[in-house]
Amino acid sequence: MVPRRPHALLLALVVGAAFPVRGQDSPFGIQGLGMPGRFESARARATGGAFAAFDPYSVLSEASLSGLGRLTATATGAASYLTDEIGGLSDSRRGSRFPLFQVGGPAWSHIVLAAGFSTYLDRTYHVIVRDTITLGGGSQAITDDLSGDGGVTDIRFVAARRFGRLAVGGGLHLLAGSSRFLFVRTFADTSAYGQASQAGEVAYRGSGLSASAILSVGRHLQIAALWRSDSRLRSEEDGATVAKNDLPSSFGGSVLWQPAPEATLAVSVSRRAWATAVDSNAYNTTSWSAGAELGRRVPLRVGVRGGDLPFGPGGRAPREVAFAFGTGRTFAGGRGIIDVALERLRRTGAGLTETGWTALLSVAVRP
Amino acid sequence: MSSRHVRRGTGVLGALGLAALACFQDPVSTAQCPAFCPGGRLTVVESLLATSIQRDSSFQGYVSAHQSLLLLASDEQGVDSRPIFEAPPIATRVLIDTGTDTTTGPIVVDSMKLTLFVLRRSAAFRNLRLAVYQLPLGIDSTSTLAGLAPAFAGAPLRVVNLDSLLAAPGLRDSVTGDTVLKVDSLHNVVTVRIKFSAAQALFSAPDSGKLALGVRVSADSLASIALGSSRLTQGPTITWFARVDSAGTIVQPESLPHAFPDSQLRGVRFNSFVFTTPPLTLDSNLTIGAVPSTRTLLRIGLPRVLRDSAQIIRAILQLVPTGSAPVAMPDSVFVQVRRVTTDLGAKSPAASDTFVANSPPFRGAPTDTVRIEMTTLFRLWQADTTSATAVYLSLLSADSLLLRGFEGASFSTVRFYSSRSAAFRPSILLTFVPRLKFGAP
Repeated sequence: MVPRRPHALLLALVVGAAFPVRGQDSPFGIQGLGMPGRFESARARATGGAFAAFDPYSVLSEASLSGLGRLTATATGAASYLTDEIGGLSDSRRGSRFPLFQVGGPAWSHIVLAAGFSTYLDRTYHVIVRDTITLGGGSQAITDDLSGDGGVTDIRFVAARRFGRLAVGGGLHLLAGSSRFLFVRTFADTSAYGQASQAGEVAYRGSGLSASAILSVGRHLQIAALWRSDSRLRSEEDGATVAKNDLPSSFGGSVLWQPAPEATLAVSVSRRAWATAVDSNAYNTTSWSAGAELGRRVPLRVGVRGGDLPFGPGGRAPREVAFAFGTGRTFAGGRGIIDVALERLRRTGAGLTETGWTALLSVAVRP
Repeated sequence: MSSRHVRRGTGVLGALGLAALACFQDPVSTAQCPAFCPGGRLTVVESLLATSIQRDSSFQGYVSAHQSLLLLASDEQGVDSRPIFEAPPIATRVLIDTGTDTTTGPIVVDSMKLTLFVLRRSAAFRNLRLAVYQLPLGIDSTSTLAGLAPAFAGAPLRVVNLDSLLAAPGLRDSVTGDTVLKVDSLHNVVTVRIKFSAAQALFSAPDSGKLALGVRVSADSLASIALGSSRLTQGPTITWFARVDSAGTIVQPESLPHAFPDSQLRGVRFNSFVFTTPPLTLDSNLTIGAVPSTRTLLRIGLPRVLRDSAQIIRAILQLVPTGSAPVAMPDSVFVQVRRVTTDLGAKSPAASDTFVANSPPFRGAPTDTVRIEMTTLFRLWQADTTSATAVYLSLLSADSLLLRGFEGASFSTVRFYSSRSAAFRPSILLTFVPRLKFGAP
């Protein structure tokens, strides 16, 4: 008999993912293509992302899916409280998103298939600018309310298979999505000048390929290698192409070591070539992470990650460092998994310091 | 409840709590431009469309005196204007008895009272006098001051000094019976009732009481007013007071079996004004105003880039006066811009909608550039690209009673330079936001 509760959880999970929930990411992405999404579940994020290449509930690695023994649906939600500080001015903001959803399971001949989506680039922002311009021979105070809502979503179709100690996988990525922009200018002298506003919706198209492999060395060590190449991102407004931007090739590697059944350690490093994405203020990025998971029933996960951000003013890549911890719990005889993580991050660059907390919740259902 | 259930419940509650926390949005960032602002921002462009107005012309003969909402009375600035009106007939005989007795008796007029609504009364008036003349019956829209000159050449039936009447105790002249019924300082309207004795009333039984009157205004200074017209529902009214001759006995109508009222109130069948003004000839400039009213047709070429994609936030029509207005009355007037539904030249029908633009009111001839806010009209042309981008300019009176101005209610004229004057041609000062290209980083 199939338990009823997992079905209810799966339904709630799918419905929740279908609702558009807006989010806000870093100001460092406003002038670039946006802020790259993170392909990690709450479990992997709690370890700073170091476990992501080996985590079948993350969408970073295809080869890790070979470990899925049955049909599994997983989704992750994130809520952020962030504070920006620049030049003595600070402002706080909050945001939320559902950056990850995936369904996968064994198909035939030990091949595991999966499909899902995740946030590739987040282009959501809301900026209010107060300024004075010269108009009609005099100074006019204005307020600009600039907002963008949306981003690029990575829809991926993945196949993976284990060959003894080696697990390999490949993925096809379709990049889609849209952003709605609304720019409003309000003049202080409303009797003379009406409000100006322009709205537009930009659709994004692109594609990519990825491949990964995980090699088990002995009983306690695994090594993962990742590669991905994305095409150009085409931005279209009203059917006309308004921009084409190169998307990066990326590669990385991870090592996972399990010295004891209740202790697992991992480190990872990756490189993404964002520098050619836009004409200026774009950088190639290197990211690293290290984390550990201690315990089995209610494990404690801790991790740290750091690296570069791809976009930011000042001619130098902004830096990011984050500390995370979390735990998880299996329910219903292993058919339901809930993982939580809490991350403290700090981003710096061009005089701007961004700090905040991000809480993540992942739910996996294996009916 | 077991500890397992408690732990499970706590876990579920925790998960739901985190999920609830995820459902909010408050994404305002610290704005530090240009470093941390979007690359594309709204740009406001201010552009003078110096040559967008072309094929501009003036045409005469739109609103004539008999169509005006005001009856202009003036003896200023070379303008001699006199309101004229004709009252309809009244019942000249009434039934004496009831039943089958159809005997009627003629009325015997005791007096007549003329009520006028006086507008544009100014504090600068000195000894403003209204002289009422009897005119021949049959006046109409073809009547002219020259044609009625013989009637106005005679002695007036009555002359009323409005200033004296306003200064009289109780606003009433106990000798003549003239009364100021109401002083509406909000709308600057004085309602005056002038009494005519039986001899002055000139009741004509053969004409069934029809009576045509004319009013001439004079003053020590600033002899220029307006009377309300029947089109404004404030036209002149005539009240006849009469008794009845019942077989040689003069009785009150109210005492008869039918209890007829002792007065008969009538409006006017026709009201207008006749006038002479300095000749108004159209030249290469743009002329508006006068009676019959003169309009100017402006054709505005809207650049395609503005029509298609820019967002107009302000549009101002700039008109440079020539400084040589043929007639500059002391009336308060303003220039109105009204679009035409289709461009047929002088016969273009004016749209009867609210997409109008008005200049600030002024008196006399403007000495500075007249600027008229036309933003709503330009936005309309953007929204409806099939609309004719042509407008009428007309000069409207700015009487507060009218709430909105009306054409043909002032003799004032204003001349502006036309597109044929390269240096001072009409122009459009346009403030707009070009279409922003979203999507580019």
